[in-house]
Amino acid sequence: MTQKDPYILDRPTGRRLRARDALLCVGVAVVLLVLIEGPSIRNTGKEMSSGVERTVVRAVGEPAGWVGDRLPLSDAADSMTGWLSPGDKLTGPGGFQNAAVAAPEPGDGAPAPITPDYFDSAAIGAKSVQLPKLRKLLVTGDSMSQPLDAELARRLADTGGVRTVRDAHLGTAISSTDLVDWGRLSVSHASQTPDAVVMFIGANDAFPMTKPDGKTLNCCGPDWAALYAARVRRMMDTYRRDGAARVYWLTLPYPRGAVRQKIVRTVNAAIAVAAQPLRSQVRVLDMASVFTPGQRFRTAMTVNGKATIVRDPDGIHLNPAGARVAAELVTARLRADFKSIGG
Amino acid sequence: MVFPTVEFAIFFPIVLALSWALMSRQQVWKPFMLAASYVFYSAANPLFCLMLAGITLGNQAASKLIHGSEDERFRRRIVIAAVALNLATLGVFKYYGFFATEVNGVLDSAGLGLPVPLAAIALPIGISFIVFQAITYTVDVKRRVIEPASTIDAALYLSFFPHLVAGPIVRAREFMPQLAAARDPRNVALGAGIFLIMVGLVKKVAVADSLAREIVDPVFAVPQAYSAPDVVLAAYGYAVQVFCDFSGYTDMAIGTALLLGFVFPQNFRSPFGSTSFRELWQRWHITLSRFLRDFLYIPLGGNRGGRRKTARNVMITMTLGGLWHGASWGPVLWGAIHGAALVGEQFFRERGWRPPMWLRWFIVFHVFVLALVIFRASTIGIAMTFLGRMLEPGPATLWTFPIVAVIVGMIAYQCVPQRPLDELRVRIEQLHPVALGASMAAVILLVAATVSSQGVPPFIYFQF
Repeated sequence: MTQKDPYILDRPTGRRLRARDALLCVGVAVVLLVLIEGPSIRNTGKEMSSGVERTVVRAVGEPAGWVGDRLPLSDAADSMTGWLSPGDKLTGPGGFQNAAVAAPEPGDGAPAPITPDYFDSAAIGAKSVQLPKLRKLLVTGDSMSQPLDAELARRLADTGGVRTVRDAHLGTAISSTDLVDWGRLSVSHASQTPDAVVMFIGANDAFPMTKPDGKTLNCCGPDWAALYAARVRRMMDTYRRDGAARVYWLTLPYPRGAVRQKIVRTVNAAIAVAAQPLRSQVRVLDMASVFTPGQRFRTAMTVNGKATIVRDPDGIHLNPAGARVAAELVTARLRADFKSIGG
Repeated sequence: MVFPTVEFAIFFPIVLALSWALMSRQQVWKPFMLAASYVFYSAANPLFCLMLAGITLGNQAASKLIHGSEDERFRRRIVIAAVALNLATLGVFKYYGFFATEVNGVLDSAGLGLPVPLAAIALPIGISFIVFQAITYTVDVKRRVIEPASTIDAALYLSFFPHLVAGPIVRAREFMPQLAAARDPRNVALGAGIFLIMVGLVKKVAVADSLAREIVDPVFAVPQAYSAPDVVLAAYGYAVQVFCDFSGYTDMAIGTALLLGFVFPQNFRSPFGSTSFRELWQRWHITLSRFLRDFLYIPLGGNRGGRRKTARNVMITMTLGGLWHGASWGPVLWGAIHGAALVGEQFFRERGWRPPMWLRWFIVFHVFVLALVIFRASTIGIAMTFLGRMLEPGPATLWTFPIVAVIVGMIAYQCVPQRPLDELRVRIEQLHPVALGASMAAVILLVAATVSSQGVPPFIYFQF
């Protein structure tokens, strides 16, 4: 008996249909999804970075959204599938989407109050103030916050008494409310009353944003930067909880590639502007200078006397060694602001 | 572009419709499918398409040269050069940073000031799979198993989008015959394809990502913050996560190919039910196992040459198989552990030691789970901390009924005959196409509802 060649693949057993049935089947699925998820597809398209993919998704999303708006299917599907939700859907106040986002001025528009924590006691020869105790640290952001969050959590785990909450939202951006609305998320985070918040975000930021007057701003001109800074400032203000918490906002190391570098230059400038009136509680930690002095991308740097690769191959993120460098800088700053921080 | 995205949901119906519309005109269908596959690949980075085209043309040229010569020494030289170039491509893109760091470390400790330039080179998605498939093509031509294909067929074989970024590793001799004639539009395994896509989606998004979010990522990031119950659950959870993540992708790839009229080999066959390490590797990532067997283990000498040489060949094969999974010491050690397990198993088998089946299953499964801890942890130090915490008594803070039920269910299900899922598949295959489409839409909506605001993490095997 001859043995069958094992590399001649058998088609799966079972019912056979025609190609036109396959098209009908996939077509039905697509039509149903468009009817039910049309508004979501439209939002996805609106907030994608410009390019061919965005054009295609918008070409489908706009009519799909129009149809979806006129049918009650989206809400019905949400209520039917809600029981499967992980329970972290953001529905609270403070969203950026469709909101007139004005940069908040602390004290209802009055000049920012000057509080004692603007001053370094040692520098002015005063007696040291009693530092607060760090009980809860929130490390959040987009994919940039990983693996920094884990590195910080490991360092602080041995300190005792510090609970590190890690909440990375991959693929999200402050300039896009599609996956996560960071306005809402920051309010939700603040309600958990962390004593300190470490924020590392911006790798994906370059999405078009809509002004309150309906005008769409594309990255990365001064108008876009101003609107972005307004969102950042509002988040900083939310996180600092009227001075009850410290915020550590990390600037972005410059990535590989001119297009992304332009975005990072704008994002970092916006972070600096946003933090100005809130400096007593918001520390901007300059990762750009540490990892990319002179705004020039580099893969490796000297760490503890050794040349070390600190960036991921994608040229955007920090690798574990880079995260250790960043974590060292963050813990040094935490030590200056809180008592009993090891590290 | 990846499967569970809006972009793919737009891309695929268009490609499916045009593919069947053009199928009868192969001279049009092939360029169309090639273009579609390159569009799919360029979504990650258009520059990567140059690498894909380069690998294709290089291997095609080598295959033609090999086929055109009867001089065995010449054929051998060309195949060695082609394999070396393929591996060099993989080496530069995937292993250069690891290599430079380790060599510099050794030179530094020896007081030699000759640092190798450090660089973190962008890793083209799916490069490991592309290179291995290219090797199967050229080597099988050298072995006279297949004849060289036309350039467009070779390009289509290497770039065909359902298997492009994460396998399964389809052999040229499996795929090329399917390009010889147009696929039959009256013979589409529609139900099986749709069923696999639905199962794959559930495995990836609903199971693997939930486990990662709820238990695996938190515990592996800071194992010292957890005690034995949570750490043990995370170890089992990671085994289930990696299975559902990778087999979920494979299911979607095979299902997508079936809708286009193509058949891919199976990649997983209930691996958690294995009662020997040998059986495990015949059920886990099957297409990689057989690649390593046919293109590394057997050329090294296989089991010819006595016990010691066999053990050496197994260790080399499995350790390099580990290195294929990632450029760091964790995957290398993971591969070496599996090599040692295979060698040890053979040693005991030859001495007639054959414990009861339940004990064999217990040993195999738990060595697999523990080795995965080393594979997953970002450093060996963290892996050791993780393993140490398995002995630390304390509260179970992450145990919830759904998580425990999913982990136990996924493991237990593979240890019994899979009748319920087979019956479900048969029932789904009987559905009218409209009902099938509605079922798929319902599953997509249900799965989408389980996505957290933290987003869908990329497939684990994309990094390989």
